[in-house]
Amino acid sequence: MKYRSTLLASAAVAGMLCGTAARADTTLTFVWHAGTCADAIMDIAKDYPDKTVKVVPALVPYGPEWHNKIASEFAIQGDAFDFAMWDSQSTAEFAGGGHAVKINDIFDQSTYLKADIFPASSLSQYGEYPDGSGQFYGLPVNQDAYGLMYRKDLFENPGEQAAFKAKYNRDLKVPETYQEAKEVAEFFTRPDQGLYGWGQMGGRDYDFATTASNSYLWSFGGELYNPATMEVEGYLNSPASIDGVQAYVDMFKYGPPGSGNWGFDEVNASFQQGQLAMAMQWFYFNGSNADPKVSTVAEQTGFGILPGAVGRDGLFRRQFSVGGQGMGINKYSKKLPELVKFMEWYFQPEQQTRYAAVCQTGLKAVLESPEWQGLNSYNRQFSTALQYLNDYWHLPEYPVMLDILQEEVSNAISGSKTVEQALTDAATRHERTLERAGYKIDRKGGAPEVPDTVISPAGQAEVTPVNQ
Amino acid sequence: MDQPLQKRSTGRLMILGFLSPTILLLLFMVAYPIISLVYYSFHNFSAMRPADGMSWAGLGNYEYLLTDSAIWQRFVFTGKFVFICVTMQMILGIFVGYQLQKTFRGRDFLFTALMLPMMLSPVVAGFLWRYMLNSEWGVVNFLLSGIGLPKIEWLSQATPALWAAAVVDTWMWTPFIALLATAAFRGIPETIYEAAEVDGASPAYVFFRVTLPMSAPVLFIALILRLIDCFKQYDLFVAFTGGGPGSSTETVSFAVAKTAFSYFYTGEASALAVILLCIIMGLAMILVRHLSQMGER
Repeated sequence: MKYRSTLLASAAVAGMLCGTAARADTTLTFVWHAGTCADAIMDIAKDYPDKTVKVVPALVPYGPEWHNKIASEFAIQGDAFDFAMWDSQSTAEFAGGGHAVKINDIFDQSTYLKADIFPASSLSQYGEYPDGSGQFYGLPVNQDAYGLMYRKDLFENPGEQAAFKAKYNRDLKVPETYQEAKEVAEFFTRPDQGLYGWGQMGGRDYDFATTASNSYLWSFGGELYNPATMEVEGYLNSPASIDGVQAYVDMFKYGPPGSGNWGFDEVNASFQQGQLAMAMQWFYFNGSNADPKVSTVAEQTGFGILPGAVGRDGLFRRQFSVGGQGMGINKYSKKLPELVKFMEWYFQPEQQTRYAAVCQTGLKAVLESPEWQGLNSYNRQFSTALQYLNDYWHLPEYPVMLDILQEEVSNAISGSKTVEQALTDAATRHERTLERAGYKIDRKGGAPEVPDTVISPAGQAEVTPVNQ
Repeated sequence: MDQPLQKRSTGRLMILGFLSPTILLLLFMVAYPIISLVYYSFHNFSAMRPADGMSWAGLGNYEYLLTDSAIWQRFVFTGKFVFICVTMQMILGIFVGYQLQKTFRGRDFLFTALMLPMMLSPVVAGFLWRYMLNSEWGVVNFLLSGIGLPKIEWLSQATPALWAAAVVDTWMWTPFIALLATAAFRGIPETIYEAAEVDGASPAYVFFRVTLPMSAPVLFIALILRLIDCFKQYDLFVAFTGGGPGSSTETVSFAVAKTAFSYFYTGEASALAVILLCIIMGLAMILVRHLSQMGER
């Protein structure tokens, strides 16, 4: 009897130990691109009160490998990761393929995680599929927007101001339109002094060229397609779209030679070396660009909002690419309850305030707090920038459409095609892609010169200054 | 009479026994994927959208690819790249190999040092050269400016990008040709050179009429390996140019990988892979046949 009791007790202890061991083994793996924000999540996760849960990163470089790592795992319906941060435009691909957990179910069951803790536009931008459906497959974990950085020392220099005024008959100020930006960039382009007016991405990799070119395209009143009819011809190659991409291509004249294949690394490196007067760059990088240990011009760097443009219809628009990522959940993960608990903790204001000190949160409570807005020299601009965001197609065919547009815009940058030819070829190939995927294109024709006026009108009679 | 028969059948069983693990492994690792590849190539199917199912496409994927001018553009670029790289690597490799077969002080160290580029991952080499060829702060343009030459926009224009990629591939793989060439040259008996010397043959005559013909089979194998490897070059371009500008440095292998793992057009990617496989196999068969004939001669 005694022997039996000892055996039972031993079994119970062993069971408890095994149970503890099993709980301690709970790892939540996430895929993201390596960088400051992934490091920040890791730092914060170390303080997660439930010590039996470990958050493990599976980081890859920014670019196609990152998308392909997530996509390949979904393709084999694997659970090598539990959650992932993916680009807003990838939501359609992953949710459309049935691989992402519908977040609405979590909203319904959780007492804290609710749709209203995030700005509605951000939630829609990073997680909604199909557009306007109210179905969410991602949370705005890391918001981002294109921004402008400029050399305050050059803009505030009285000599430069006087010379600019003498040449252009107006004051030297941070540009509000691309028309103004072109003049300022031209003014500061002095190759003999190793100074150039403007830096921007133009690389063929991933979305480098098109996140930039789309920002011009939308600001000039162009559109990528008509979501109602699925027409691309007449929209992507509309006169307004051509104006926008032409303005983008022309700006390379004011950048260092060879900058037509730059990615964000080269834009940062060039700006940090003091080679550029202005640069178009993601807010994501402002932390390092404001750091004197990283940038030789950190103290002289100002952060602003990208210009808009006065389109051929005389209206002003300011639209630029959304950046950042949403957090999506792998449908094949076997650790959903643990993950939801972690997310309920992670999206608390306390954790998000820590995250927002280095990256851009999507939590409304933090975004609206005066403390966060005054934390550094660019958070206030970032919260203003959020209202001007626009995005690629939210369609499962996004990777194909993106690659085609990247290729054609890159052709325009290198000069192997005119902008009009490149956009017309892209439009033809996009329609072919959509038709192959089974979309019915309702070819009504007669797209207006400025298609923004019939898709999502954003034109204003006056230029609204935001950089003063 | 019975004993030799029994011996023979036992021998056959032994051979089968030894070969069967390899045969099974080959069937699993080679035959099965190839059969699957061909099967998928006749279907419309996306691994990313399994719910859409798989539908019979017949020759549709092949027809689409072979009538797509963009794919032909990739083939033309691949052809140019292979031709330039293999030509440069063979000429340089043979030259370097010829010098390295000679005995001189520091030869072993030089030999090892020359092998270093070959030991790098193509992705690492791609990133490394991408920075070295940066038009503004890259070391190559810095050196060009130093001798009064204009800076070149290496990676933002199609033609310089092709040549830059060929130079990087040549930098990486010339040592491989040099390695094989050195081995081949050193394998030629010394007496043949002595006989040529006695006959009063010039060094050029000896090189072209003795050294090269006698090492031709090894050099031919090197040529086949480089042709195949260059034809399927992908990773270097991913890091080096991303396929750009436009699609001017996109190889067929790059297009296969992109169609398969970025677009997830699994059927179409399979068809393109089959086409590529047929080309490489055809090319290899012609060359191997030529090699066999060379051996017979």
